[in-house]
Amino acid sequence: MHPEKQKHAFEPKIIAFVCTWCTYAGADLAGTSRMQYPSNVRVLKFPCTGRIDPVFILKAFQQGADGVLVSGCHPGDCHYIAGNFHARRRFAAFRKLLEFVGVDLNRLQFSWVSAAEGGKWVEVVTDLTEKVRAMGLMTEFKELALEEQWSGTIDTPELKEAYDQI
Amino acid sequence: MTQPIDTSIYAAVTEAIRSEAKRILSEGQVSAIVGYAVARRKGSAQPIVISDAADVSKLIFTPACVNNLSVYLTKAKKEIPKNGKIGIVVKGCDLKALVGLMGESQLKREDLFLIGVPCAGVLGSVLQPDTELTSDTIASKCRECGERLPQGCDFVPSVTLPATPEQEQIYAAEIARLEALTPAERWAYWKEQFSKCIKCYACRQVCPFCFCEQCLCDRNKPQMVETTPRPAGNFAWHVIRAMHLAGRCAGCAECERVCPMDIPLNLLNRKMAKELKELYDYEAGFEVNDKGPLASYDDKDDQSFIK
Repeated sequence: MHPEKQKHAFEPKIIAFVCTWCTYAGADLAGTSRMQYPSNVRVLKFPCTGRIDPVFILKAFQQGADGVLVSGCHPGDCHYIAGNFHARRRFAAFRKLLEFVGVDLNRLQFSWVSAAEGGKWVEVVTDLTEKVRAMGLMTEFKELALEEQWSGTIDTPELKEAYDQI
Repeated sequence: MTQPIDTSIYAAVTEAIRSEAKRILSEGQVSAIVGYAVARRKGSAQPIVISDAADVSKLIFTPACVNNLSVYLTKAKKEIPKNGKIGIVVKGCDLKALVGLMGESQLKREDLFLIGVPCAGVLGSVLQPDTELTSDTIASKCRECGERLPQGCDFVPSVTLPATPEQEQIYAAEIARLEALTPAERWAYWKEQFSKCIKCYACRQVCPFCFCEQCLCDRNKPQMVETTPRPAGNFAWHVIRAMHLAGRCAGCAECERVCPMDIPLNLLNRKMAKELKELYDYEAGFEVNDKGPLASYDDKDDQSFIK
């Protein structure tokens, strides 16, 4: 009954930060309606998009996410009246900052998915997964996490000489 | 080409600050004044708090008066109501920081006596405090300064600001240069810059806006930012710092000045200021706003980036 699952060489990890009132319910609807969408997405439920701190996105990338999705209620539909309006400004600023420090913004997706939009959830998740799959592994943050750090060059001639004299 | 910058007004400014300080201290209008005084090295200046009218001759204003004194009021803000009014010497950029703090309910205007300083610029580095102020030695923030005369102060010395020569805008040029690069090149640039960081948190301690009693970066349950000075933690710290200052930073560039590793921190702050100006038409100024751009919203905000 289900279409044959395609085998891919690379399965990206997508972290989705969703609000409990709209997108989580929308994703639930997609599930109960038996719609198929990539299982690459890991859903994290938050009370509201306004609760999603930019540091969560950073942390997700550092912990090995290849793509991040932030999704919540449509403007005007927020359960807490204005949470998503605040989030909209915050993320507009944050994505500019990420872009400036050199993060590829194609890996970061924002969307409004209401509780009735199971189909849109499937579409957003599929699009992001395929886009990130084409881009490959997010290596920048992983390399950063593996690197040790030296505040200066430690192999200067003076230091070498001092070392040899010991 | 090196052009000299006229700082002849600073002598008159110093005189005016002293006489006003004497007046308000002896009249009992303020209990203390935060200002600048001569430091040990020739030509250098340091912050001072005076509470005796006999000490007013210690107050000065020179091109070496680089500090943003408003940081003394935020971190010690709980002391202010007990002590009565506090006088403070502010340059234009420092006043913007104070105004921002008033908007965030950290300070009350009625608790302060503002002594504004008409400022032709200060030194970029005080490693050689005795150097003359020229278009080479002037601080980068002063090159882009549009408000040399603070507004809304209780007292501003009446001197005429000399015209300042047109100067190269270092931050604007550097931001434009970085924006033209590819993401990978920008990543490489910032990676190199942030890898210098030793996590001394001087940038946080000197920032008037970093007044949280417990910083996100000091929390370990959950630990959002690695505390050790390794590249991953450094990167997260500087991005989060820039994000927390977005829409609040007044551009005093103290973070950059105190950085022992010479990381261009103000570049991130200027970039965010530029973006918020474009997005929400917000700029740090002399008017107290109850809500900054990221603490308020509009139904019609741009959402072209949201699916």
